[in-house]
Amino acid sequence: MERKQSELCIEVLRRFHKANILNDFILIGSWCVYFYKEYFSDIPYIDLTTIKTRDLDFLIDNPARIKQEVDIPELLKDLGFIISFKDSNGYIKLDHPDLILEFLVPEKGKGRDKPYPLPKLGINATALRFLNFLSDNTIKVKVEDFSLTLPHPANFALHKLIIFQRRIREEKAIKDRNTAIEILRALLNKGEENMIREVFNSVPQKWQKKIIRGLEETKEKAILEILINTNT
Amino acid sequence: MKGVIKGALAEELANSSRMKKEYEKVLKKLPEGCLAVRKIRGHKYYYLVKRTDKKVKYIYKGKISDEERKKYEEAKMLRAKYRNLLSKVKKQIRFLRSSLRGKEAV
Repeated sequence: MERKQSELCIEVLRRFHKANILNDFILIGSWCVYFYKEYFSDIPYIDLTTIKTRDLDFLIDNPARIKQEVDIPELLKDLGFIISFKDSNGYIKLDHPDLILEFLVPEKGKGRDKPYPLPKLGINATALRFLNFLSDNTIKVKVEDFSLTLPHPANFALHKLIIFQRRIREEKAIKDRNTAIEILRALLNKGEENMIREVFNSVPQKWQKKIIRGLEETKEKAILEILINTNT
Repeated sequence: MKGVIKGALAEELANSSRMKKEYEKVLKKLPEGCLAVRKIRGHKYYYLVKRTDKKVKYIYKGKISDEERKKYEEAKMLRAKYRNLLSKVKKQIRFLRSSLRGKEAV
C-alpha cells in the first residue's frame, strides 16, 4: 500500500504540474515529512518514524493569484477520486482509498465558519489559523522533472509545536508533537540551529511561549536550550 | 485516551466508512448498462445491455451520437474503477476494525 500510495501522490502532483497549478500550492501536513527526505538527504533521515495518514493537504496561500482555470475533480476523476462533503457546511474533500485531498487557505480577520469558494478550481477550501506561518518561509524540493513547494522544516516543526496544544484529541496532539521533535532533531543533525532560532525569533512572543511550553512537555533539552538561549 | 496508532487507525476507519458510502452513491448515479454494437450492412447499430433481476436484456438504441457513446464508455470505465476501489475500501474497513480490536504496545 505504501508504494502505491506514494505513486498515486506523485501522479496527483504530476497532473497539477501539467495543469500549471502546482506552483499555487504548498504541500502541508504529514506528507511533508515524506518529501523532506530530499532536503535531509545529507544526514540519516527516515521519514517512516512519523505516522503518515492518507490526508494530502494543500495550502493555497493566495487564492486570488490563481490564474489557471482547472476543474480539479475532473482532472483526477479517472484515477478514481470522488467528491465528498465533510459536513453540512459543504467542505469538499477528494476521496480515494489511498489518499484524501483537502485544500486549505489562511484564515484572515474574524474568520469564517463556511467553506472558502475556489470556483476556478472547481472546489472549496477550509480556512484555518496560523497557516501564514507555514507559507512565510518555504523550500522547493525536486520531484521528477518539477519542483514542489513545502514549508521550511523549521516552520513546519514549530507550527506543529503550537497547534498540538490546540488539539482536542490527545492522540493527535501526541502525533503532532512527536513529528515536530523528529524534524527538529533532523535540523539539528543538519547543523541548522541558526535557522530554528531565526524562525523562533520571527514569531510573536505569545507563540514563542507556546512553543517553549510544548517543548518543556517533551523534555527535549537540546532543542529547548537553543530556544531559551535565544529568548534571553 | 487511545494510543497514537489506535487514534490514527480510528480516524482512518471513519474515513474509509465515509468513502464506502460515497463510492456506493456514485456507482448508483452512473448510467446503467453497457453498449453493444451490431454491424449490419456496414452500418453500426447500438444496443444497451442491462441486467434486470437475473435476466440480461438488450434494449435497441439504434444509431447514437458520439457524445452518448462516449458517455456510456466513460461510465463503463468509471464503474469498473469505482467497483475496484469500493472493494479495496471494504477490505480496509475489515482490516481496520480487526486492528482496533487488538491491544496497542505502549
